[in-house]
Amino acid sequence: MMTKLFWGLAVLYGLGIFLSPVNRKGINIFLSPGNQSDVLRQVSNNGIIAVGMTLVIMTGGIDLSVGSMMALGCMLCAMLLTLQGWTTASASSIPILALVCLLLCAYLVPLIAINLRRGSRPVEKPSPGVRLFGLILGLVVAGLSVWWTTSQLQSKFTVLGVLVTVPAVGLAVGSLNGLIISKGRMQPFIVTLAMMVAILGAARLLGGETAAIYPVYTGSNATEKFDILRALVLQVVPVPGIFFLVAVLIFGFVLKFTTFGRYIYAIGGNEQAARLAGIHVDQVKISVYAVSGMLASLAGVLYTAQYRQGKPDAGSGAELDAIAAVVIGGTNLMGGKGSMIGTLVGVLIFGFLSNILLLKNINSNTQFVLKGAIILAAVLLQEGQLGLWWKRLRSSVYPSAYPGRSKEQVSEKVTR
Amino acid sequence: MFPPDPTANSTEPPALRMRRIAKSFGASRVLIDVDFELHRGEIHALMGENGAGKSTLMKIAAGLIEDFEGEIAVDGKIVHLTSPRAAARAGIAIIHQELCLVPELEVDENIFLGQEKLRSGFIVDRANQIRAAREVLKMLDYHGNLETPVSKLRVGEQQLVEIAKALVARARILIMDEPTSALSINETDRLFQVIRRLAAEGVAIVYISHRMEEVLALANTVTVLRDGRLIGTLSGKQASRRELIRMMVGREIQEMLATGKDPAAVREPLIDVRNLWLEHPRPTPLRPRLVDNVSFSVAAGEVFGLGGLLGAGRTETLEVLFGLHPATSGGVVRIRGKTTRILSPVLAKEAGISLVTEDRKRDGLILGAGIDRNVGLPVTRLLAHFGVVSNTLEQALASAKIAQLNIQAAHGPAQIVASLSGGNQQKVVVGKCLVTQPKILLLDEPTRGIDVGAKAEIYRLIQELAGQGLAIILVTSELPELILLSDRILVLREGLPTAILNREDFSQEIILEFASSGGATQPEFLTPEAAA
Repeated sequence: MMTKLFWGLAVLYGLGIFLSPVNRKGINIFLSPGNQSDVLRQVSNNGIIAVGMTLVIMTGGIDLSVGSMMALGCMLCAMLLTLQGWTTASASSIPILALVCLLLCAYLVPLIAINLRRGSRPVEKPSPGVRLFGLILGLVVAGLSVWWTTSQLQSKFTVLGVLVTVPAVGLAVGSLNGLIISKGRMQPFIVTLAMMVAILGAARLLGGETAAIYPVYTGSNATEKFDILRALVLQVVPVPGIFFLVAVLIFGFVLKFTTFGRYIYAIGGNEQAARLAGIHVDQVKISVYAVSGMLASLAGVLYTAQYRQGKPDAGSGAELDAIAAVVIGGTNLMGGKGSMIGTLVGVLIFGFLSNILLLKNINSNTQFVLKGAIILAAVLLQEGQLGLWWKRLRSSVYPSAYPGRSKEQVSEKVTR
Repeated sequence: MFPPDPTANSTEPPALRMRRIAKSFGASRVLIDVDFELHRGEIHALMGENGAGKSTLMKIAAGLIEDFEGEIAVDGKIVHLTSPRAAARAGIAIIHQELCLVPELEVDENIFLGQEKLRSGFIVDRANQIRAAREVLKMLDYHGNLETPVSKLRVGEQQLVEIAKALVARARILIMDEPTSALSINETDRLFQVIRRLAAEGVAIVYISHRMEEVLALANTVTVLRDGRLIGTLSGKQASRRELIRMMVGREIQEMLATGKDPAAVREPLIDVRNLWLEHPRPTPLRPRLVDNVSFSVAAGEVFGLGGLLGAGRTETLEVLFGLHPATSGGVVRIRGKTTRILSPVLAKEAGISLVTEDRKRDGLILGAGIDRNVGLPVTRLLAHFGVVSNTLEQALASAKIAQLNIQAAHGPAQIVASLSGGNQQKVVVGKCLVTQPKILLLDEPTRGIDVGAKAEIYRLIQELAGQGLAIILVTSELPELILLSDRILVLREGLPTAILNREDFSQEIILEFASSGGATQPEFLTPEAAA
């Protein structure tokens, strides 16, 4: 399965080299460091979203709200960077940040405390002392975060400021998704569809009626340092690409090696069985939607850096691209099957495909048609359906060749 | 070992002849050169342990598996059954264990689904359909209302609708896979009459069943498969219970379990349940609650049986004890004298309770995952250092359970559970429930749909676990099994407790009497003895 995927990527890569135009100096444009770096830059937003989407789909769910979440992140980021004092953006995101800090500490501290000790019982409860400590720590961190962010209000937000605040908002909204889905026993499709519409509205409301687009001129109306998010490390590796690869590494590790990852697979495989095995199914589900929302809003920040503007239609269609990449990467939409490395390959296949079509100067509408065809082909190939179709076709053309043995063999055995 | 059926010499070609059928799923060969012959008017039972290949063979005949080796002839003509449609054209119909009806469609609509009677080309002619359906159903002894959704019918009636559907499609070969598994005794009797009548009219019937008595009572011919091979074909007269078991298992089975145990010494109760109740989603005056005012206590080392008819509230009692209905149930549960509130499976696990569910595929297993992942799931936390799961520990745990429970896994602990036979899957479920080292084990139909050999192993395991001091609460619809294993039995009727019986009072008659209200309703116990 994975080898099939890697072969697909390799073939596509070879095709890219072969089809690529060559410039006057005789350099293959597809292979040039600049182009490779561009591909990584272009896939990184979709890739970051796809990482969260992989977790969600692996539990058997789906998150359609990521595109809107990215737009919200993008708007928040641009407004926090360019506007001073209390605005709709800062007034909404700072309290959310404080709340996220509080709840995260109160939830994670006992969890970490349990996992540090090697228990002997299958269910271990944190002691009240640890819980209290988590709560107090949460209050302190929340207070610190409010102090830290409000101190940035006068001089506009710093890069670190937006990199913390915006994903925190995404985390909160994602948890809300997960909360409604798990506690309300609702269909993820419907819940996140509704949230997709609602969050997009929120992103537009945030900007107010007059200014739909917030330009971000680093150095004049925003901090110069924001350019770091679109820079190249060592002249070739784009910073968004690093974010993407780090996200793949972290969540790939989580999925493959940790108890949390096991629970994700288990829930996707059979939710009821996981529940009866005494797993906190609802907590795991809320967590995956929270991660998905967080990564989507982080993609929004990177979008702002890349295109130097915040606009509410930043992430339109992003959810579909992410789902496509995840599915090409071999993750089963029913849940329980898939891997993060598959998603990485899926994202790259998608990216290289776009790049090849771009280099061949193919009409953008034709590109859409071709991409759709590629997605279908990739999924068919993975489900192993093509082989079956071929057999069926063969049997209808040469009935004697199927099923199984030839007539001579059969009659020989009968006369035995 | 046994000569093929002598009737093969008759001049008429067999209705269905399958020759040298072979089929592999991946590396495992589920059918190896199996021959099968079926004649007009014959009731041909197909027997074998789970995983013997009976269902696969019949799926091939019904066109549900298109990728196999061998040759199939219907009425002497070679056919290519590569789809259910092709099989239907050849006159073959299969009735699955789980019925395939559309619950919201009415009886006639289900019968004519896909072959609707039409008026002026595209309008469904309900009146005509109902007339035709009534005619067919009359032959099957069904006289109920046709203009009612099938979901409102009893399971036995739904089965008749399935048969009618097959007959309307002019099926001359009818394959029935465990048709009586959900039927009451009355319904089973009626179904047998229908089957005999169909056979008399020349329909060839393949009857797959685990129930020895049914097969002995019904079949003209019995074919036994084991491990994907044909072991032999006997005529109904030749077949005996002992002989069939020997063919299925490949060895003589002694009495499954020698004796009962010593009467359990009076011990302190491990779990004490008082006034347990569970709300009914749609309460009626006759049945206000699903479980009502149930009290009992179980000592360590005791096997406590719950008896009762289908729907008496036995499964629900276990579910409440496992914390599956926190909002709609109540009562006092004391474990070792300490009042314990069990509001979720997590809390049940913490309290030392494990549940082996009734339906292993729906609730028990992650079918697409390996034995190791399934067995390790409840204790993933214990297999991890700092949240990172250790594969070594997981494999070791799974290997230990495979050895302890004698799970037949050719590919070791990582073998995908879906590729195991039913009995072995059930052992994985049990293994999964034992890894948390529970003190109280709830078993809901632990031997449902598994073969004789695996059943005996589960019985032995239950006694062994009781010997280790676990309190076991057992629900089973097989009355002999309940009597064999239990130390005491609580009988439920319509959610209410009617009696707690001690071992010396056990008999099928007494349990049935308490389970059914004074003989007014028919007992629905699915006992092989009673069905015979």
